[in-house]
Amino acid sequence: MSTPDVEISSTRRTVETIVLVALVVAFVATTLLVKWPADAPAKLSLDGLGIILAAGLTLIMYSFLYRDNPLFKVAENLYVGVALGYGAMLTWYLSLKPEIVDPLVTAPHNGARVDFLFGQMRIIPIILGVLLLTRLSRRHAWLSRYSYTLMVGWGAGIGIPIVAHSYILQQLEPSVRPLAGGFWEALGALVVLVGTVSVLFYFFFSVEHKGAGGVVSRVGVWFLMISFGASFGYTVMGRVSLFIGRAQFLLEKWLGISL
Amino acid sequence: MWFKRTIPLLICFVVGTLAFVHEFVPHPLAGTFRQEMTTWFRIIGGFGLFIGAYSLLHMHVTRIRRRQAGWAYSAFVFLGAALMIAFGLYNGGAGPLAPPPGEDTMFQWLYMNVQVPCGATIFSILAFFMASAAFRTFRARNIEAALLLVAAVIVMFGRVPISEALSTVFPKAADLLMEYPNMAAKRGILLGISLGMISQSLRILFGIERSYLGGGD
Amino acid sequence: MGAPQASIRRLALTRQVIYVLVAAAVIVPFLVHFPLEGKPSRVTKALFDKVQALPDGSVVLFSFDYDPSAMAELYPMSLALLRHCFRKGHRPIVMTHWANGVGLCKELVERASSAVGKKAGDHYVLLGFKPGYSNLILNMGESLQGAFDKDYYGNPTQGMPALEGVHSLKDIPLVVDIAAGATVEMWIAYGRDRFGFELGAGCTAVIAPDLYPFLQSGQLVGLLGGLRGAADYEVLLERPGSGLAGMQAQSVTHVLIIGLIIAANVAFLWRRRKT
Repeated sequence: MSTPDVEISSTRRTVETIVLVALVVAFVATTLLVKWPADAPAKLSLDGLGIILAAGLTLIMYSFLYRDNPLFKVAENLYVGVALGYGAMLTWYLSLKPEIVDPLVTAPHNGARVDFLFGQMRIIPIILGVLLLTRLSRRHAWLSRYSYTLMVGWGAGIGIPIVAHSYILQQLEPSVRPLAGGFWEALGALVVLVGTVSVLFYFFFSVEHKGAGGVVSRVGVWFLMISFGASFGYTVMGRVSLFIGRAQFLLEKWLGISL
Repeated sequence: MWFKRTIPLLICFVVGTLAFVHEFVPHPLAGTFRQEMTTWFRIIGGFGLFIGAYSLLHMHVTRIRRRQAGWAYSAFVFLGAALMIAFGLYNGGAGPLAPPPGEDTMFQWLYMNVQVPCGATIFSILAFFMASAAFRTFRARNIEAALLLVAAVIVMFGRVPISEALSTVFPKAADLLMEYPNMAAKRGILLGISLGMISQSLRILFGIERSYLGGGD
Repeated sequence: MGAPQASIRRLALTRQVIYVLVAAAVIVPFLVHFPLEGKPSRVTKALFDKVQALPDGSVVLFSFDYDPSAMAELYPMSLALLRHCFRKGHRPIVMTHWANGVGLCKELVERASSAVGKKAGDHYVLLGFKPGYSNLILNMGESLQGAFDKDYYGNPTQGMPALEGVHSLKDIPLVVDIAAGATVEMWIAYGRDRFGFELGAGCTAVIAPDLYPFLQSGQLVGLLGGLRGAADYEVLLERPGSGLAGMQAQSVTHVLIIGLIIAANVAFLWRRRKT
């Protein structure tokens, strides 16, 4: 992701440091000088400082487009820490605390605790959850296999009928049903059927793609290329939209321009 | 070996078979079994987060301890996490400094003003990289590449309103491309992946696929 | 030594010129307004019609499965959908499978509800997050209150007015998943095909092409793809928002990128012809 290394002279480094400092000063000056709309929060209020902080972090992140720099590294690591803390707190408050801690700690009497652990059998997932954490120990990591095999086995077992039904059977029927419709519907369905079969055949590597098989495989490749082109087009659209969102924020919220 | 490998694989087989079979059992006990198991996994899943958190923090502790390149920046990871946890724990419970009704917590403030802009911006940088990479490397070297390029251009142009201002042919072409050749290829890929998932699930149930057990025996 | 350095510098310069062009293509249209509104796509209208056709006061479950990295595309469509629900008097139930998206869900639903005076618990429910993904959906399919015994604010879901008549996913006529990952397929397989509700989806543009097979099979009733999907929904709702506002910039940037690709290929084919 980073730009290729070019030999940078110490003069250039000095110039770039001065420019970086100047940009920070320019950011502060711009923030102080721009006029925010009347309904926007006051600049020195908590909400206002939040907007300024968000705008600063946004521009610091974009500085990576020129080159990796200390400000970007600080912001990047701060983001990682904040995201980690946020996820941990949410998991604690919305999952672990109400499901395990509260029934044990705030239970009205011991009988309720015993019922929770043994009557409702919550002792089992608690033990399995603790065993999961042993994955971090090199010596005791084998204990975590009891938790993993339970989860993986369940996922694999329940997944077989679900995948067969939703992703195979439910997809096969609409591939052939429109063939019985009007001319254009049937033509479209034929295109879809030819495309689906040829793409499936392309991924079937047990048979050499020669002769008639080679023709079918080539048709499959063409369909795949069209599909990848469509995906590329949509991906460009998606990435551009992400930048549009940030531009809207910077222009509207930070610079106070009405859009 | 018995406790380290055989029993876990046996558990995988038994639970997986029960999970498969219970789908076809109309008895209410099957529903109760499913409800119980999914509740267990919801609880176990909560513990899983802390594995990821520990791994990440351990990596940064190691970086600081060994004074690896950029070690000082790792301190900001701990700063960010400590701030979020402090505000989360402090404001999470009722107390004298809990926010008045209608106002948000510092926890939410840090989320909206640090995590949201950083997260949104990091991925938006890809817009620039995509444009640059498309200009430098996207070439119609052969028929397949040309097909890809033409499809991409049709979709990129047809899906923006400016194309409709010129002619309704462009959005219609984009829609046709999405609903027929694209859909056919995606369905083929979906069927292939689904067959692969079933095959892999069977391999896991029968203990042929064991990479999820981790290293060691 | 000099030639590779010079070519690397030229590469870096070309890259930076392109970055400036892209930035200008996005920013300038915001400053120079010109009207640009497209006809909503068939798949977006299908979801809009579905929400519109539900009897007033129906329950709609929203699963906002994204985090800040996909916010620019998915926040506008999420807001438009919630506004549509409140306009129809529906009771949205909001949840997420992504822990880092809870704050966005909270901000979204409070913003949409406060504008029309709707209250948590009475007119809508913010369930928040629970881990489990497909297991959580299976749980909710048997008992919603069992999966989420409290809402995000700590209020018991049992007996909540907004959840009147709702005991599980089987009692919900429409679920809409706004996704930045693979949760739409998960909702189809573990939710819609098991418990019989209708499923609509909104997603980032990156994964939109992958969902067309499910549209054709009827497993999805409608799809909002990327920022264009959000813009289309805002047009149908007759309530312009940031989705529609971004369409000018989106159009100009797409034309720029198409122009760059075509120019590069013309140069490439010309050079190849010469040699």
